[in-house]
Amino acid sequence: MRTSAGARTASTVIGEEFAGLLAAAQGGSEAAFSRLWRNANPALVRYLRVIAPGAEEDTAAETWVHVVRGLSAFRGDEQAWRAWLFTTARRRAIDLARHRARRPEAALDDVTAAQLPSSADSAETAMENLSTAAAIALLAGLPRLQAEVILLRVVAGLDTESVARILRKSPGAVRVAAHRGLRRLAQITADAGVTL
Amino acid sequence: MPNIPQPQRQDEPVVTEADLAALLAGTTDAIPGLLPVADILAALTAEPTGAELAGEAHALAEFRRQAGAPVPATTARRGTAGLTSRFGVKVGASITAVAIVLGGGVAAAFADVLPAPIQRLAHEAIGAPVPRPGVPHRARPGVPMRAAHGQPAARGGPGAKRQPRPHATATHAAQGSQGNSQGKGSQSEQGKGSSQGQGNKHGNGQGNGQAKQGAARHGTHGSPQMNRRPAGHPRRSVRPGQS
Repeated sequence: MRTSAGARTASTVIGEEFAGLLAAAQGGSEAAFSRLWRNANPALVRYLRVIAPGAEEDTAAETWVHVVRGLSAFRGDEQAWRAWLFTTARRRAIDLARHRARRPEAALDDVTAAQLPSSADSAETAMENLSTAAAIALLAGLPRLQAEVILLRVVAGLDTESVARILRKSPGAVRVAAHRGLRRLAQITADAGVTL
Repeated sequence: MPNIPQPQRQDEPVVTEADLAALLAGTTDAIPGLLPVADILAALTAEPTGAELAGEAHALAEFRRQAGAPVPATTARRGTAGLTSRFGVKVGASITAVAIVLGGGVAAAFADVLPAPIQRLAHEAIGAPVPRPGVPHRARPGVPMRAAHGQPAARGGPGAKRQPRPHATATHAAQGSQGNSQGKGSQSEQGKGSSQGQGNKHGNGQGNGQAKQGAARHGTHGSPQMNRRPAGHPRRSVRPGQS
């Protein structure tokens, strides 16, 4: 039996050091801020790859600009910190989507394959070479709510209540969406004939 | 190739809600049916790539910039300044407009050029001069003065509707009295009660009768029409209360 899920929590949460890092960063310590950034930015970019495909880097950078501006006024624990980060990122992504809707910039020929909606073939490709990008491509094939819930729970490390607040859904709706997403992922891998 | 859904294999374990919750929490081992999903979730939290850490320099630069200048104060100052500027312009314009209107109204009230009802209101409200009956508007150069303009008929008393007539008659009386009725008429406006006798003294019989009529009327209302000099004299309007 695999235990791959057990190691990811430790890799995404700072833990007891968080309060000291936050205080140091609020006091102007670049090292502390760098530590916070390195801990959170990869998860932020992965989340944005699904909800803002093609603009994840810019959206993440803009998110950090907002975070830096409000850093001195932030109060909360690590869970609140991550909730704030991803809430800010989500708002920036929504603003970007509205901006794109008003002014479409890229022609269809310019869109890379990674930005195209995933299909059954993407599942097979992902399972052949299961990497982070492939896993994100698999999640991008899920309905938006299910993909967001799984990303916020797993990648951002948020609990159900925090995810519900970010998505403005009830905790029950978040649980249902997460379970449906996981079942669908299981179905996709089963349909692709993957046996691990 | 048609995509025909395949029935679930009978040997697959049933996935429960608790298994899914545990998979999300990452606290327990995944059951065999969820192993591929567990791998997918593990891949989502794999070690960061170089591209995912490429923006650190930009973030640190922003951090340094904000550390040098306190952001909340700057943001608040910028936002508040814009708001204050726009709001201040509107408030300033409104205050200016109201001040102009009120100032003009007050000035007009103290200059006694408002219509009698409004002037009366101004008198009660801000202590402006009481509207003078028969002098609703200050005489303006080049504008002929109307005898009973703005004067309520009820206040005009008897004979108010015949206002033009004493005007002409007074002129005749003044002519008949060789200007003496002018000064005496002023006395009658002051309510001294001597205009009648003076008018009789210096005027003729006709002038006396007319002066009496004018005194009866203008001793009450103080119309300046009676005090006008005959044609050829320097135009001088004598107002009530002036000697």
